Amino acid sequence: MTMTARRISCAVIACLMSAVASAHHSFAAEFLGDQTLKIEGTVSEVWFKNPHVRYYIEIQNDDGETETWDVRTSSPTILVRRGWNRETISEGDKVIVEGYLGRDGRKLLSLIKIELPDGTVLHHSY
Amino acid sequence: MKQILFLVTLTFVALGANANPALEGDWMIELKPSGAPIIGLLQLERDGDEWKGFVEGGPVPVTIDDDHIDILIDTRDLRGFIFFMRLKGEMTDGVLAGSFTIESEAKVNASDGTWTAERYEQSPRSTEPKPVDLSGIWTPARGRDFRKYIMDLTPAAEAWHADYLMHYDQPNVRCASPGITAMVAWGAYPFEILESDDRLTFIYEFDSEVRRIFLDDRQPPEFYPHSGMGFSTGHWEGSELVIETTLLSQNTRDFRGEPVSEQARLEEVYTLSDDGQTMSAVITLHDPDNYERPPIRRRAWTRKPDTGIYPNECDPDSFYRQMYNENLLDMYFERSRRRF
Repeated sequence: MTMTARRISCAVIACLMSAVASAHHSFAAEFLGDQTLKIEGTVSEVWFKNPHVRYYIEIQNDDGETETWDVRTSSPTILVRRGWNRETISEGDKVIVEGYLGRDGRKLLSLIKIELPDGTVLHHSY
Repeated sequence: MKQILFLVTLTFVALGANANPALEGDWMIELKPSGAPIIGLLQLERDGDEWKGFVEGGPVPVTIDDDHIDILIDTRDLRGFIFFMRLKGEMTDGVLAGSFTIESEAKVNASDGTWTAERYEQSPRSTEPKPVDLSGIWTPARGRDFRKYIMDLTPAAEAWHADYLMHYDQPNVRCASPGITAMVAWGAYPFEILESDDRLTFIYEFDSEVRRIFLDDRQPPEFYPHSGMGFSTGHWEGSELVIETTLLSQNTRDFRGEPVSEQARLEEVYTLSDDGQTMSAVITLHDPDNYERPPIRRRAWTRKPDTGIYPNECDPDSFYRQMYNENLLDMYFERSRRRF
């Protein structure tokens, strides 16, 4: 798997809340609601199953080291009703992801939006 | 977070020497934010000069001076961030009314608004069954529920809950059923109701759970096991469907992790709107082992025939893998006693 990605930026933003379509009730226990991170990398694994759909993204950090980030979104049934299925994002895809940062310095993001290789941007809201 | 909850718990008794005693009693309160209205039971109780307030069974700080009242209601948004609604109002002609503001450290999706409260007396239910057609697929609707965060736990339940880690101990994160008490108020998934002569069958998309509500007088078989979905019977009181569920296994009431005992009884009262398109429920948990006062939830669903109930399988591998990668598996399994 190529790992040409790099971390783009980390910014504290106002948390823009939108309509909730998720049952992610423990979000507050695992994620910071006011800090987001944008990463650019390559999808190394797709986990399109409950309890949460996850995309593992390999990136190259500022020190040139490879990191694997666990990018989490909601359940498959919530996504597929919106036309977002297991083929939408595949291993090897180069993507740009913005998400809420996991607590305690973990390499964990709760997906807000993801830009696919063809420029399509998918959003996920809570 | 725990400090905030501790302060709220400490301050739910307020002095009100000049309070109008007519405020004592049960009120049905309605909040009108910019979105869907929120309704719930407000209980004001007096013991000498001390007043206690409860919303949906959970304690709230109240300050009462003559006809003026100030209530601080704890709640949460759908991500689990706690915030408060501060209600200020007064009683005029037997009705409480005023405005409320949102108080929060985190940015939450909630708005200020107005509120009213009218005296609440449970009207006698009709004894003549007048069943209505609840069959079909229902998807969650917005609003209605206060999502009251703090409930009136017994000391034993408080002690148990103090050590709860919601993102490790919640049943659903490891693909175990959270049980009907939590699922019935869970807000993201549709469910289907099938009607037949002696039962209603609820098919929940969440966890692909199936539940039978027997409408005859049957009793559970001897040695019927306790389970997350329990044993449910139902009957019609007028056009209201009343469901009682017992034989529940030990579980949690919500993602927050407050316990539910095997002796608990869950009561759900379902009503259908006049146009048949909205179904609502008042959900009350009777569990004196864990709650000094029964917690109440309110939910509504919209009829949605153009969808289906999707398969909803769950594989906990990714949950365990994350802990493996973070060297947390020992911690997790040392906490197994927390998971009933």
